[in-house]
Amino acid sequence: MEDVKTTIKAFIQETFVADDQEQLSNDAPLLSSGIIDSISALELVEFLEKTFHFEFQPHEVDQENLDTITRIEAFVKTKKVA
Amino acid sequence: MFERNASQQAWRERILDFAASHINPLAMEREQTATFDRQLWLACGQLGLTGLSIPPEWGGQGMDAYTTVLALEALGFASEDPGLNFGIAAHLLAVAVPMWKYGTEEQHQRFLPGLCNGQAVGGNAITEETAGSDVFAMQTTATPQGDHYHLNGTKTYCSNGGEADLVLTYALTNPAKGFFGGISAFVLEKDQQHYGWSASREKLGLRTCPLAALLLKDSAVPVANRLGQEGAGGQIFNASMTWERICLGAIHLGAMDRLLKLAAQFANHRFSGGQNLSARQAVTHPLADLKVRLEGARLLTYQAAQQLDAGQRTGLAASMAKLAVSECYKHFCLQLMQLFAGEAYQTPHPVEIQLRAALGATLYSGTSEIHRNLVAREIGFKSALT
Ligand SMILES: Cc1cc2nc3c(=O)[nH]c(=O)nc-3n(C[C@H](O)[C@H](O)[C@H](O)COP(=O)(O)OP(=O)(O)OC[C@H]3O[C@@H](n4cnc5c(N)ncnc54)[C@H](O)[C@@H]3O)c2cc1C
Repeated sequence: MEDVKTTIKAFIQETFVADDQEQLSNDAPLLSSGIIDSISALELVEFLEKTFHFEFQPHEVDQENLDTITRIEAFVKTKKVA
Repeated sequence: MFERNASQQAWRERILDFAASHINPLAMEREQTATFDRQLWLACGQLGLTGLSIPPEWGGQGMDAYTTVLALEALGFASEDPGLNFGIAAHLLAVAVPMWKYGTEEQHQRFLPGLCNGQAVGGNAITEETAGSDVFAMQTTATPQGDHYHLNGTKTYCSNGGEADLVLTYALTNPAKGFFGGISAFVLEKDQQHYGWSASREKLGLRTCPLAALLLKDSAVPVANRLGQEGAGGQIFNASMTWERICLGAIHLGAMDRLLKLAAQFANHRFSGGQNLSARQAVTHPLADLKVRLEGARLLTYQAAQQLDAGQRTGLAASMAKLAVSECYKHFCLQLMQLFAGEAYQTPHPVEIQLRAALGATLYSGTSEIHRNLVAREIGFKSALT
Protein backbone atom coordinates (compact mmCIF):
# COMPACT_ATOMS: atom_id res chain seq x y z
CA MET A 1 0.00 0.00 0.00
CA GLU A 2 2.97 2.34 -0.49
CA ASP A 3 0.94 4.20 -3.08
CA VAL A 4 -1.60 5.14 -0.40
CA LYS A 5 1.12 6.75 1.67
CA THR A 6 2.62 8.46 -1.37
CA THR A 7 -0.74 9.83 -2.44
CA ILE A 8 -1.51 11.17 1.03
CA LYS A 9 1.93 12.65 1.42
CA ALA A 10 1.85 14.35 -1.96
CA PHE A 11 -1.53 15.93 -1.19
CA ILE A 12 -0.43 17.23 2.20
CA GLN A 13 2.89 18.47 0.87
CA GLU A 14 1.26 20.26 -2.05
CA THR A 15 -1.74 21.62 -0.23
CA PHE A 16 -0.59 22.55 3.22
CA VAL A 17 3.18 22.96 3.40
CA ALA A 18 3.88 26.57 2.54
CA ASP A 19 7.63 26.11 2.04
CA ASP A 20 8.15 23.98 -1.07
CA GLN A 21 11.65 23.08 0.09
CA GLU A 22 10.47 21.56 3.36
CA GLN A 23 10.06 17.76 3.17
CA LEU A 24 7.60 16.22 5.60
CA SER A 25 8.52 13.08 7.46
CA ASN A 26 5.91 10.37 7.79
CA ASP A 27 5.78 10.82 11.54
CA ALA A 28 5.74 14.60 11.73
CA PRO A 29 2.73 15.77 13.73
CA LEU A 30 0.32 17.56 11.42
CA LEU A 31 -2.60 18.73 13.55
CA SER A 32 -0.92 19.20 16.89
CA SER A 33 1.93 21.15 15.24
CA GLY A 34 -0.42 23.40 13.25
CA ILE A 35 0.90 22.31 9.80
CA ILE A 36 -2.72 21.42 9.18
CA ASP A 37 -5.08 23.79 10.93
CA SER A 38 -8.63 23.03 11.88
CA ILE A 39 -10.13 24.22 8.61
CA SER A 40 -7.54 22.50 6.42
CA ALA A 41 -8.26 19.27 8.28
CA LEU A 42 -11.70 19.30 6.69
CA GLU A 43 -10.07 19.53 3.29
CA LEU A 44 -7.92 16.57 4.19
CA VAL A 45 -11.03 14.61 5.21
CA GLU A 46 -12.74 15.50 1.92
CA PHE A 47 -9.66 14.47 -0.01
CA LEU A 48 -9.35 11.11 1.76
CA GLU A 49 -13.03 10.31 1.29
CA LYS A 50 -12.96 11.16 -2.40
CA THR A 51 -9.65 9.50 -3.18
CA PHE A 52 -10.11 6.29 -1.23
CA HIS A 53 -13.89 5.97 -1.56
CA PHE A 54 -15.05 5.69 2.02
CA GLU A 55 -16.90 7.87 4.50
CA PHE A 56 -15.63 9.07 7.83
CA GLN A 57 -18.04 8.55 10.71
CA PRO A 58 -18.24 11.83 12.65
CA HIS A 59 -16.24 10.46 15.60
CA GLU A 60 -13.50 9.16 13.31
CA VAL A 61 -12.43 12.67 12.38
CA ASP A 62 -10.05 12.42 15.25
CA GLN A 63 -6.52 13.57 15.87
CA GLU A 64 -5.62 9.97 16.61
CA ASN A 65 -6.44 9.02 13.02
CA LEU A 66 -5.13 12.14 11.34
CA ASP A 67 -2.10 13.46 13.16
CA THR A 68 0.67 11.93 11.05
CA ILE A 69 0.98 10.52 7.56
CA THR A 70 1.62 7.09 9.08
CA ARG A 71 -1.56 7.26 11.16
CA ILE A 72 -3.63 8.47 8.23
CA GLU A 73 -2.36 5.62 6.11
CA ALA A 74 -3.17 3.10 8.86
CA PHE A 75 -6.66 4.51 9.22
CA VAL A 76 -7.31 4.47 5.47
CA LYS A 77 -6.20 0.83 5.41
CA THR A 78 -8.69 -0.12 8.13
CA LYS A 79 -11.47 1.57 6.17
CA LYS A 80 -10.49 -0.12 2.95
CA VAL A 81 -10.43 -3.52 4.61
CA ALA A 82 -13.78 -2.97 6.35
CA MET B 1 -32.26 22.80 -14.42
CA PHE B 2 -33.45 24.97 -11.53
CA GLU B 3 -37.19 25.07 -12.16
CA ARG B 4 -39.82 24.78 -9.46
CA ASN B 5 -42.05 21.73 -9.72
CA ALA B 6 -45.75 21.92 -8.89
CA SER B 7 -45.26 21.05 -5.24
CA GLN B 8 -42.45 23.61 -4.83
CA GLN B 9 -44.61 26.25 -6.49
CA ALA B 10 -47.55 25.38 -4.24
CA TRP B 11 -45.32 25.77 -1.21
CA ARG B 12 -44.17 29.17 -2.44
CA GLU B 13 -47.74 30.36 -2.76
CA ARG B 14 -48.67 29.00 0.65
CA ILE B 15 -45.76 30.86 2.23
CA LEU B 16 -46.59 34.08 0.38
CA ASP B 17 -50.19 33.95 1.65
CA PHE B 18 -49.12 33.10 5.18
CA ALA B 19 -46.61 35.96 5.36
CA ALA B 20 -49.20 38.44 4.13
CA SER B 21 -51.84 37.32 6.61
CA HIS B 22 -49.80 36.34 9.67
CA ILE B 23 -46.29 37.81 9.58
CA ASN B 24 -46.46 41.21 7.94
CA PRO B 25 -49.34 43.01 9.68
CA LEU B 26 -47.33 43.64 12.89
CA ALA B 27 -43.79 43.05 11.61
CA MET B 28 -42.59 46.63 11.98
CA GLU B 29 -43.96 46.98 15.52
CA ARG B 30 -42.24 43.76 16.55
CA GLU B 31 -38.97 44.96 15.01
CA GLN B 32 -39.15 48.28 16.85
CA THR B 33 -39.95 46.70 20.20
CA ALA B 34 -37.62 43.71 19.67
CA THR B 35 -40.48 41.30 20.31
CA PHE B 36 -40.34 37.57 19.75
CA ASP B 37 -43.93 36.41 19.23
CA ARG B 38 -44.42 32.84 20.47
CA GLN B 39 -47.89 32.51 18.94
CA LEU B 40 -46.54 33.52 15.56
CA TRP B 41 -43.75 30.95 15.90
CA LEU B 42 -46.37 28.32 16.64
CA ALA B 43 -48.32 29.35 13.55
CA CYS B 44 -45.10 29.08 11.48
CA GLY B 45 -44.69 25.57 12.89
CA GLN B 46 -48.25 24.65 11.98
CA LEU B 47 -47.58 25.75 8.43
CA GLY B 48 -44.49 23.52 8.41
CA LEU B 49 -41.78 26.19 8.24
CA THR B 50 -39.91 25.08 11.35
CA GLY B 51 -39.41 21.53 10.06
CA LEU B 52 -39.07 21.97 6.30
CA SER B 53 -36.17 19.55 5.79
CA ILE B 54 -37.08 16.97 8.42
CA PRO B 55 -38.70 13.68 7.27
CA PRO B 56 -42.49 13.45 7.67
CA GLU B 57 -42.26 10.60 10.17
CA TRP B 58 -40.92 13.14 12.66
CA GLY B 59 -43.42 15.82 11.72
CA GLY B 60 -41.40 17.62 9.05
CA GLN B 61 -42.06 18.35 5.40
CA GLY B 62 -39.38 16.04 4.01
CA MET B 63 -37.82 18.62 1.71
CA ASP B 64 -34.37 18.11 0.26
CA ALA B 65 -31.85 20.94 0.56
CA TYR B 66 -32.76 22.45 -2.82
CA THR B 67 -36.49 22.51 -1.99
CA THR B 68 -35.66 23.93 1.44
CA VAL B 69 -33.77 26.72 -0.33
CA LEU B 70 -36.80 27.46 -2.51
CA ALA B 71 -39.11 27.57 0.51
CA LEU B 72 -36.78 29.82 2.51
CA GLU B 73 -36.38 32.05 -0.53
CA ALA B 74 -40.17 32.43 -0.62
CA LEU B 75 -40.16 33.26 3.09
CA GLY B 76 -37.43 35.90 2.60
CA PHE B 77 -39.37 37.39 -0.28
CA ALA B 78 -42.75 37.46 1.39
CA SER B 79 -41.98 38.14 5.02
CA GLU B 80 -41.18 41.63 6.25
CA ASP B 81 -39.72 40.26 9.47
CA PRO B 82 -36.07 39.36 8.79
CA GLY B 83 -35.51 38.47 12.46
CA LEU B 84 -38.23 35.83 12.36
CA ASN B 85 -36.95 34.52 9.03
CA PHE B 86 -33.45 34.23 10.48
CA GLY B 87 -34.69 32.60 13.69
CA ILE B 88 -36.63 29.98 11.75
CA ALA B 89 -33.72 29.23 9.43
CA ALA B 90 -31.20 28.96 12.30
CA HIS B 91 -33.57 26.71 14.27
CA LEU B 92 -34.10 24.46 11.27
CA LEU B 93 -30.57 24.27 9.86
CA ALA B 94 -28.32 24.41 12.93
CA VAL B 95 -30.56 22.54 15.37
CA ALA B 96 -33.27 20.37 13.79
CA VAL B 97 -31.17 19.13 10.84
CA PRO B 98 -28.18 17.93 12.91
CA MET B 99 -30.55 16.31 15.41
CA TRP B 100 -32.18 14.46 12.54
CA LYS B 101 -28.89 13.52 10.87
CA TYR B 102 -27.02 12.41 13.99
CA GLY B 103 -29.69 11.63 16.59
CA THR B 104 -30.74 8.17 17.69
CA GLU B 105 -34.25 6.87 17.11
CA GLU B 106 -35.08 7.72 20.72
CA GLN B 107 -33.71 11.27 20.31
CA HIS B 108 -35.68 11.71 17.09
CA GLN B 109 -38.87 10.80 18.91
CA ARG B 110 -38.08 13.06 21.83
CA PHE B 111 -36.90 16.19 20.03
CA LEU B 112 -38.01 16.39 16.41
CA PRO B 113 -41.83 16.53 16.58
CA GLY B 114 -41.76 19.62 18.84
CA LEU B 115 -39.12 21.32 16.71
CA CYS B 116 -41.22 20.67 13.60
CA ASN B 117 -44.66 21.66 14.87
CA GLY B 118 -43.56 24.92 16.46
CA GLN B 119 -44.05 23.82 20.08
CA ALA B 120 -40.31 24.01 20.63
CA VAL B 121 -37.83 26.71 19.66
CA GLY B 122 -34.29 25.55 18.92
CA GLY B 123 -31.00 27.34 19.55
CA ASN B 124 -27.45 26.51 18.52
CA ALA B 125 -24.66 27.59 20.87
CA ILE B 126 -21.03 27.16 19.95
CA THR B 127 -19.42 30.63 19.92
CA GLU B 128 -17.45 31.64 23.00
CA GLU B 129 -15.71 34.83 24.08
CA THR B 130 -12.35 33.60 22.78
CA ALA B 131 -13.73 31.20 20.17
CA GLY B 132 -15.66 33.05 17.47
CA SER B 133 -14.19 32.58 14.02
CA ASP B 134 -11.77 30.21 15.66
CA VAL B 135 -14.45 27.92 17.11
CA PHE B 136 -11.75 25.34 17.52
CA ALA B 137 -10.32 27.33 20.43
CA MET B 138 -13.40 26.40 22.44
CA GLN B 139 -12.95 26.12 26.21
CA THR B 140 -16.30 24.83 27.47
CA THR B 141 -15.82 21.40 28.97
CA ALA B 142 -18.06 18.37 29.48
CA THR B 143 -16.78 16.05 32.19
CA PRO B 144 -18.36 12.61 32.45
CA GLN B 145 -19.70 11.59 35.87
CA GLY B 146 -21.75 8.40 35.93
CA ASP B 147 -24.58 8.67 33.46
CA HIS B 148 -24.21 12.44 33.10
CA TYR B 149 -21.74 14.98 31.78
CA HIS B 150 -21.11 18.18 33.70
CA LEU B 151 -20.84 21.14 31.38
CA ASN B 152 -18.94 24.29 32.29
CA GLY B 153 -18.46 27.40 30.20
CA THR B 154 -20.22 30.31 28.54
CA LYS B 155 -21.53 30.43 24.98
CA THR B 156 -21.65 34.10 24.11
CA TYR B 157 -24.15 34.25 21.26
CA CYS B 158 -27.12 31.97 20.84
CA SER B 159 -29.81 33.06 18.40
CA ASN B 160 -33.27 32.26 19.75
CA GLY B 161 -31.44 32.11 23.11
CA GLY B 162 -33.64 32.80 26.10
CA GLU B 163 -36.68 31.56 24.18
CA ALA B 164 -35.12 28.26 23.16
CA ASP B 165 -36.63 25.04 24.52
CA LEU B 166 -33.88 22.88 23.03
CA VAL B 167 -30.29 24.01 22.67
CA LEU B 168 -27.65 22.19 20.69
CA THR B 169 -24.32 22.98 22.26
CA TYR B 170 -20.75 21.76 22.00
CA ALA B 171 -18.12 21.08 24.66
CA LEU B 172 -14.69 19.52 25.02
CA THR B 173 -14.83 15.94 26.21
CA ASN B 174 -11.14 15.40 25.51
CA PRO B 175 -9.25 18.70 25.62
CA ALA B 176 -5.98 17.01 24.59
CA LYS B 177 -7.46 16.11 21.20
CA GLY B 178 -9.03 19.51 20.59
CA PHE B 179 -11.59 19.99 17.86
CA PHE B 180 -10.96 16.73 16.09
CA GLY B 181 -12.13 13.95 18.33
CA GLY B 182 -12.16 16.11 21.44
CA ILE B 183 -15.53 17.84 21.10
CA SER B 184 -18.97 16.40 21.67
CA ALA B 185 -22.45 17.72 20.96
CA PHE B 186 -25.21 17.92 23.58
CA VAL B 187 -28.90 18.73 23.59
CA LEU B 188 -30.10 20.83 26.51
CA GLU B 189 -33.80 20.78 27.35
CA LYS B 190 -35.53 23.68 29.04
CA ASP B 191 -36.69 22.78 32.56
CA GLN B 192 -34.87 19.43 32.43
CA GLN B 193 -31.27 20.56 32.81
CA HIS B 194 -29.88 23.30 34.96
CA TYR B 195 -28.41 26.09 32.86
CA GLY B 196 -28.98 29.82 32.51
CA TRP B 197 -29.32 32.63 30.00
CA SER B 198 -27.94 36.14 30.07
CA ALA B 199 -30.40 38.97 29.51
CA SER B 200 -31.42 39.14 25.86
CA ARG B 201 -28.85 41.26 24.03
CA GLU B 202 -29.88 44.46 22.30
CA LYS B 203 -28.80 44.31 18.70
CA LEU B 204 -28.62 46.42 15.58
CA GLY B 205 -30.81 44.25 13.38
CA LEU B 206 -32.79 41.00 13.43
CA ARG B 207 -34.36 42.42 16.55
CA THR B 208 -37.29 40.00 16.62
CA CYS B 209 -34.86 37.10 17.00
CA PRO B 210 -33.60 37.01 20.58
CA LEU B 211 -29.86 36.61 21.17
CA ALA B 212 -28.46 35.61 24.56
CA ALA B 213 -25.45 34.01 26.19
CA LEU B 214 -25.82 30.45 27.46
CA LEU B 215 -24.40 30.00 30.94
CA LEU B 216 -23.25 26.52 31.89
CA LYS B 217 -22.15 26.00 35.45
CA ASP B 218 -21.82 22.39 36.49
CA SER B 219 -24.84 21.74 34.30
CA ALA B 220 -25.57 18.03 34.43
CA VAL B 221 -26.63 16.66 31.06
CA PRO B 222 -27.59 12.98 30.71
CA VAL B 223 -25.47 10.80 28.43
CA ALA B 224 -28.76 10.14 26.60
CA ASN B 225 -28.64 13.80 25.47
CA ARG B 226 -25.26 13.50 23.75
CA LEU B 227 -25.75 13.75 20.01
CA GLY B 228 -23.57 11.27 18.14
CA GLN B 229 -20.65 9.50 19.69
CA GLU B 230 -18.21 11.11 22.06
CA GLY B 231 -15.76 13.10 19.95
CA ALA B 232 -18.13 13.52 17.01
CA GLY B 233 -19.05 17.13 17.83
CA GLY B 234 -16.59 18.75 15.42
CA GLN B 235 -18.00 16.91 12.45
CA ILE B 236 -21.60 17.39 13.55
CA PHE B 237 -21.00 21.12 13.80
CA ASN B 238 -19.32 21.24 10.40
CA ALA B 239 -22.19 19.35 8.80
CA SER B 240 -24.76 21.68 10.36
CA MET B 241 -22.80 24.70 9.15
CA THR B 242 -22.77 23.30 5.62
CA TRP B 243 -26.58 23.20 5.66
CA GLU B 244 -26.77 26.64 7.23
CA ARG B 245 -24.27 28.24 4.86
CA ILE B 246 -26.11 26.95 1.83
CA CYS B 247 -29.75 27.27 2.86
CA LEU B 248 -29.94 30.23 5.23
CA GLY B 249 -28.82 32.66 2.53
CA ALA B 250 -32.00 31.80 0.64
CA ILE B 251 -33.91 34.17 2.94
CA HIS B 252 -31.55 36.92 1.79
CA LEU B 253 -32.05 36.03 -1.87
CA GLY B 254 -35.79 36.38 -1.35
CA ALA B 255 -35.34 39.66 0.50
CA MET B 256 -33.29 41.07 -2.38
CA ASP B 257 -35.98 40.09 -4.88
CA ARG B 258 -38.50 42.03 -2.83
CA LEU B 259 -36.18 45.03 -2.49
CA LEU B 260 -35.60 45.13 -6.24
CA LYS B 261 -39.34 45.36 -6.79
CA LEU B 262 -39.56 48.19 -4.28
CA ALA B 263 -36.65 49.95 -5.95
CA ALA B 264 -38.26 49.81 -9.38
CA GLN B 265 -41.59 51.07 -8.02
CA PHE B 266 -39.85 53.91 -6.22
CA ALA B 267 -37.65 54.96 -9.14
CA ASN B 268 -40.55 54.78 -11.59
CA HIS B 269 -42.62 57.16 -9.55
CA ARG B 270 -40.16 59.56 -8.00
CA PHE B 271 -39.37 62.68 -10.00
CA SER B 272 -36.27 64.80 -9.81
CA GLY B 273 -35.24 67.53 -12.25
CA GLY B 274 -38.26 66.89 -14.45
CA GLN B 275 -37.56 63.19 -14.97
CA ASN B 276 -38.38 60.12 -13.02
CA LEU B 277 -35.39 58.46 -11.40
CA SER B 278 -35.74 55.41 -13.65
CA ALA B 279 -34.57 57.53 -16.56
CA ARG B 280 -31.22 58.15 -14.91
CA GLN B 281 -28.50 55.64 -15.51
CA ALA B 282 -26.76 56.75 -12.33
CA VAL B 283 -29.77 55.18 -10.59
CA THR B 284 -30.46 52.14 -12.76
CA HIS B 285 -26.95 50.90 -13.60
CA PRO B 286 -25.84 50.11 -10.05
CA LEU B 287 -29.10 48.22 -9.59
CA ALA B 288 -28.64 46.37 -12.86
CA ASP B 289 -25.18 45.34 -11.66
CA LEU B 290 -26.64 44.18 -8.35
CA LYS B 291 -29.30 42.18 -10.17
CA VAL B 292 -26.56 40.34 -12.08
CA ARG B 293 -24.70 39.75 -8.84
CA LEU B 294 -27.87 38.50 -7.18
CA GLU B 295 -28.52 35.97 -9.93
CA GLY B 296 -24.92 34.73 -9.65
CA ALA B 297 -25.33 34.30 -5.90
CA ARG B 298 -28.62 32.48 -6.47
CA LEU B 299 -27.00 30.05 -8.90
CA LEU B 300 -24.19 29.33 -6.46
CA THR B 301 -26.78 28.61 -3.77
CA TYR B 302 -28.93 26.35 -5.95
CA GLN B 303 -25.88 24.49 -7.19
CA ALA B 304 -24.49 23.99 -3.69
CA ALA B 305 -27.90 22.75 -2.49
CA GLN B 306 -28.11 20.24 -5.31
CA GLN B 307 -24.57 19.06 -4.54
CA LEU B 308 -25.58 18.57 -0.92
CA ASP B 309 -28.62 16.57 -2.06
CA ALA B 310 -26.40 14.47 -4.28
CA GLY B 311 -24.31 13.53 -1.25
CA GLN B 312 -21.23 15.34 -2.49
CA ARG B 313 -18.89 17.10 -0.11
CA THR B 314 -19.81 20.73 -0.38
CA GLY B 315 -17.53 22.69 1.93
CA LEU B 316 -16.17 24.95 -0.78
CA ALA B 317 -19.48 25.34 -2.61
CA ALA B 318 -21.14 26.26 0.70
CA SER B 319 -18.48 28.87 1.44
CA MET B 320 -18.75 30.43 -2.00
CA ALA B 321 -22.55 30.57 -1.85
CA LYS B 322 -22.55 32.03 1.66
CA LEU B 323 -19.93 34.64 0.78
CA ALA B 324 -21.64 35.65 -2.47
CA VAL B 325 -25.13 35.93 -0.98
CA SER B 326 -24.23 37.79 2.20
CA GLU B 327 -21.89 40.31 0.55
CA CYS B 328 -24.42 40.92 -2.22
CA TYR B 329 -27.18 41.44 0.38
CA LYS B 330 -25.11 44.02 2.26
CA HIS B 331 -24.20 45.99 -0.87
CA PHE B 332 -27.73 45.73 -2.12
CA CYS B 333 -29.16 47.31 1.01
CA LEU B 334 -26.56 50.08 1.02
CA GLN B 335 -27.38 50.88 -2.60
CA LEU B 336 -31.09 50.95 -1.85
CA MET B 337 -30.54 53.25 1.10
CA GLN B 338 -28.85 55.63 -1.34
CA LEU B 339 -31.76 55.37 -3.75
CA PHE B 340 -34.55 55.82 -1.22
CA ALA B 341 -32.47 58.48 0.57
CA GLY B 342 -34.34 60.42 3.28
CA GLU B 343 -37.38 58.17 3.10
CA ALA B 344 -35.44 55.04 4.07
CA TYR B 345 -33.32 56.75 6.72
CA GLN B 346 -36.42 57.14 8.83
CA THR B 347 -37.42 54.20 10.97
CA PRO B 348 -39.18 51.94 10.50
CA HIS B 349 -38.71 51.51 6.77
CA PRO B 350 -38.31 48.20 4.87
CA VAL B 351 -34.94 49.27 3.49
CA GLU B 352 -33.37 50.30 6.80
CA ILE B 353 -34.73 47.13 8.47
CA GLN B 354 -33.12 45.00 5.76
CA LEU B 355 -29.88 47.02 5.90
CA ARG B 356 -29.54 46.43 9.63
CA ALA B 357 -30.26 42.74 9.09
CA ALA B 358 -27.80 42.51 6.20
CA LEU B 359 -24.89 43.80 8.28
CA GLY B 360 -25.17 40.64 10.39
CA ALA B 361 -25.21 38.33 7.38
CA THR B 362 -21.50 38.74 6.69
CA LEU B 363 -20.74 37.81 10.32
CA TYR B 364 -22.75 34.74 11.30
CA SER B 365 -22.21 31.24 9.83
CA GLY B 366 -18.56 32.21 9.34
CA THR B 367 -17.47 35.76 8.56
CA SER B 368 -16.70 36.79 4.99
CA GLU B 369 -12.99 36.77 5.82
CA ILE B 370 -13.14 33.13 6.92
CA HIS B 371 -14.92 32.12 3.72
CA ARG B 372 -12.42 34.09 1.62
CA ASN B 373 -9.65 32.22 3.42
CA LEU B 374 -11.22 28.95 2.33
CA VAL B 375 -11.63 30.05 -1.27
CA ALA B 376 -8.07 31.40 -1.28
CA ARG B 377 -6.82 28.04 -0.08
CA GLU B 378 -8.71 26.34 -2.88
CA ILE B 379 -7.03 28.63 -5.40
CA GLY B 380 -3.73 27.38 -4.04
CA PHE B 381 -2.57 30.17 -1.70
CA LYS B 382 -1.01 28.02 0.96
CA SER B 383 -0.43 30.63 3.63
CA ALA B 384 -3.99 31.92 3.56
CA LEU B 385 -4.86 30.34 6.87
CA THR B 386 -1.61 30.48 8.75
C1 LIG C 1 -26.68 38.12 14.32
C2 LIG C 1 -25.76 37.08 14.85
C3 LIG C 1 -26.25 35.86 15.24
C4 LIG C 1 -25.42 34.88 15.76
N1 LIG C 1 -25.96 33.70 16.18
C5 LIG C 1 -25.15 32.75 16.72
C6 LIG C 1 -25.70 31.52 17.19
O1 LIG C 1 -26.90 31.27 17.11
N2 LIG C 1 -24.87 30.62 17.74
C7 LIG C 1 -23.53 30.84 17.84
O2 LIG C 1 -22.84 29.97 18.36
N3 LIG C 1 -22.97 31.99 17.38
C8 LIG C 1 -23.75 32.96 16.83
N4 LIG C 1 -23.21 34.13 16.37
C9 LIG C 1 -21.78 34.36 16.52
C10 LIG C 1 -21.02 34.33 15.20
O3 LIG C 1 -20.90 33.03 14.74
C11 LIG C 1 -19.67 35.02 15.44
O4 LIG C 1 -19.94 36.38 15.65
C12 LIG C 1 -18.72 34.84 14.30
O5 LIG C 1 -18.30 33.51 14.21
C13 LIG C 1 -17.51 35.74 14.44
O6 LIG C 1 -16.91 35.60 15.69
P1 LIG C 1 -16.55 36.89 16.57
O7 LIG C 1 -17.75 37.78 16.61
O8 LIG C 1 -15.98 36.41 17.85
O9 LIG C 1 -15.46 37.66 15.75
P2 LIG C 1 -13.89 37.29 15.64
O10 LIG C 1 -13.73 35.87 15.32
O11 LIG C 1 -13.19 37.82 16.82
O12 LIG C 1 -13.46 38.11 14.36
C14 LIG C 1 -13.21 39.53 14.40
C15 LIG C 1 -12.76 39.94 12.98
O13 LIG C 1 -11.53 39.29 12.66
C16 LIG C 1 -11.69 38.55 11.46
N5 LIG C 1 -10.92 37.30 11.55
C17 LIG C 1 -10.91 36.43 12.58
N6 LIG C 1 -10.12 35.37 12.28
C18 LIG C 1 -9.64 35.58 11.05
C19 LIG C 1 -8.80 34.85 10.17
N7 LIG C 1 -8.29 33.66 10.52
N8 LIG C 1 -8.53 35.37 8.96
C20 LIG C 1 -9.07 36.58 8.58
N9 LIG C 1 -9.87 37.31 9.36
C21 LIG C 1 -10.16 36.82 10.57
C22 LIG C 1 -13.18 38.26 11.36
O14 LIG C 1 -13.57 38.00 10.03
C23 LIG C 1 -13.77 39.55 11.89
O15 LIG C 1 -13.76 40.53 10.88
C24 LIG C 1 -24.03 35.12 15.85
C25 LIG C 1 -23.52 36.36 15.43
C26 LIG C 1 -24.36 37.33 14.92
C27 LIG C 1 -23.78 38.63 14.46
